[in-house]
Amino acid sequence: MAAVLEIQGLRKTYRARGGPRRALDGFEMYVEAGQVHGFLGPNGSGKTTTLRTLLGLIKPDSGEMRILGQELPRHLPQVVSQVGAIVESPQFFAHFTARDTLALLADAGSLPSERVDWALELVGLRERAKERVKTYSLGMKQRLAVASALLKQPKLLILDEPANGLDPGGIREMRDMMATLSAGGMTVVLSSHILGEIQLICDSVTIISLGRRVAAGPVAEVLQAHSSGQVKVALETPADLSAAAQVLIASGFQPQLNTDHLTLSGVDKPALIARLLAERQLYVSELTPVTADLEDVFLELTGTAPVPGQVRSVDQSVRPELTPQNGGAA
Amino acid sequence: MSLVRAERRRFFKRRLTRWVFPIGLLLLVTIASILFAFHSKPTAEARAKGETAAEAMYQEQVRYYEQYKRECGEKCPEDGWTGPQRSDFRAEDFMPPSFDFKTMYGELFLVWAAIMAMVAFLLGASFVGAEWASGSMMNLLTWQPKRMKVLGTKLGVMLLSVAALSILALGVWTGILWAAGEFRGTTAGLTPGVWESFGLTALRGLGMILAFAALGFGLASVGRHTGLALGAALAVVIVGQVGLTILFQMVRVPFWEQYLVPVHIFAWMNKEVKLVDFSSPETVCDNVGNCNPPELLITWQQSGSIALALVAVVLVLAFWQMRRRDIS
Ligand SMILES: Nc1ncnc2c1ncn2[C@@H]1O[C@H](COP(=O)(O)OP(=O)(O)OP(=O)(O)O)[C@@H](O)[C@H]1O
Ligand SMILES: [Mg+2]
Repeated sequence: MAAVLEIQGLRKTYRARGGPRRALDGFEMYVEAGQVHGFLGPNGSGKTTTLRTLLGLIKPDSGEMRILGQELPRHLPQVVSQVGAIVESPQFFAHFTARDTLALLADAGSLPSERVDWALELVGLRERAKERVKTYSLGMKQRLAVASALLKQPKLLILDEPANGLDPGGIREMRDMMATLSAGGMTVVLSSHILGEIQLICDSVTIISLGRRVAAGPVAEVLQAHSSGQVKVALETPADLSAAAQVLIASGFQPQLNTDHLTLSGVDKPALIARLLAERQLYVSELTPVTADLEDVFLELTGTAPVPGQVRSVDQSVRPELTPQNGGAA
Repeated sequence: MSLVRAERRRFFKRRLTRWVFPIGLLLLVTIASILFAFHSKPTAEARAKGETAAEAMYQEQVRYYEQYKRECGEKCPEDGWTGPQRSDFRAEDFMPPSFDFKTMYGELFLVWAAIMAMVAFLLGASFVGAEWASGSMMNLLTWQPKRMKVLGTKLGVMLLSVAALSILALGVWTGILWAAGEFRGTTAGLTPGVWESFGLTALRGLGMILAFAALGFGLASVGRHTGLALGAALAVVIVGQVGLTILFQMVRVPFWEQYLVPVHIFAWMNKEVKLVDFSSPETVCDNVGNCNPPELLITWQQSGSIALALVAVVLVLAFWQMRRRDIS
């Protein structure tokens, strides 16, 4: 499948008050057509910087970017009509109504004015479209932002934390909307901190930490690659659990004893466990790999899992080594 | 040209446009109406009253003069004064003033230009300043990534809109003053030459208004906030003008007035301003032997060039920054 979005070796250093700040450091990302792609990373890892750079709002120090095969930022004017985007809760003119706001954008992009009503309808704001944005709630503003990104009916939709401030119903609507849009052929890049949500709607993900990619690929693959090979073992007679633990320790495992099951890590072939135990007349009733969820993988990969009694500073996360592709030494 | 249409709609939808321009217009209407109200046509009755009043004043002055003569008698100084002259007491001075359109209108262009220049500065500054501050500039750039085009269109649309509003205001202003001439005075003496001069003054006024608009726009864009333009204006007025006046008077800089903005506004609108340095110990004598304190002539061309250079510098800075900066 063709890549709708390609980023290679992207670097950006901000000149900030406290000295230069390296926000992106050899970042790469690929999104294939028709996918819903999750873009994850701890606070300050460079997600918004990446999206701003794509949209030409920020000039990168170096790196290559393509959208729909067109090189950026040089050919941005040609592809911009195909890219709908919201970047971190965009602000609108507070005294204009939602309809005026969208109508002005539609004008600027030479779109028919019927699109405005279509977009407002889609995000559930039609009834309140004549009210000033100033009077909107956080979630309503966010819906307006999403409407503004949908207005172009783009091929690539970029949403930076679209669920920010949405109510549960709104989040579910957003999820359904994205499923519909992607079924209709739209490619969606979605940055979010709500990992349960990402796991539900995304086909693939990219995880960024301190400006570098730490993991990427289809959600299932990422989960599998980074699940630590844990298995859960339950026995037909729970009373035998400690006996089973002894057997496994003798075989070099380090089982963890729970009330009704054992957990083992570093297991390559679960069948081996069953055989070891069966040899001692201990019969396994359940032997399942413990699937890590996206949150676990995220915390592990970025090194941002909270440690009791310790306060983590925002920039404290994993900086992966550079690979040859993203500009590191071979 | 959909961007032009969008910007034009945005300009006239703005709250500030809908408030500041009407306030400026109201100010002009009020001033013109007061001028209208305080003038009246010389009716026969008013003239008769004026004649009577002038005669009465003349008689009173004569009485005072004679009394004075009696009191000083022989000791009166020989200054050649022979008492009040009847011709000095004109009926016009004792009649309600009448509005002479030809002289008044020409002199009052400055009022229109100054009020509209303030309006224009505010509108120009807030048109782009609010856009930056609210983040909708960033939004717009995700629709139209050609930054020079975006800022240029905004500037162009703003200038044209301000020009249209200024001409509208001038129309209203002219209308009321014309009515004042027709009904409360005279519209006589309007030769084509006079109209031509009015036209040129109006054009210079429009130029000044647009310069202020562009200046406000440029400053607010550089500072990404309307407040920066307003702050700069305030700083120029307070520090620059009041401060300079005090400083220059203390250290006696010759022709210090040339550093004040209003002097240049006057020069621009009235074609020239002559500054006289009365405090100078030297005098300039011509070959006939008439000696005067030194003078400095400031022409509208000079003031215009200074203003143009200033506006150009600010706009170049604004566009240069727009091209380069990160928008976040
Ligand atoms: N305009 C700026 N000037 C200086 N530094 C900046 C600027 N914008 C972002 N940064 C820095 O760049 C880094 C990446 O920021 P970015 O906004 O891309 O993070 P993010 O991944 O979007 O985080 P979040 O999840 O909190 O939205 C941070 O360290 C941030 O402090
Ligand atoms: Mg962000």
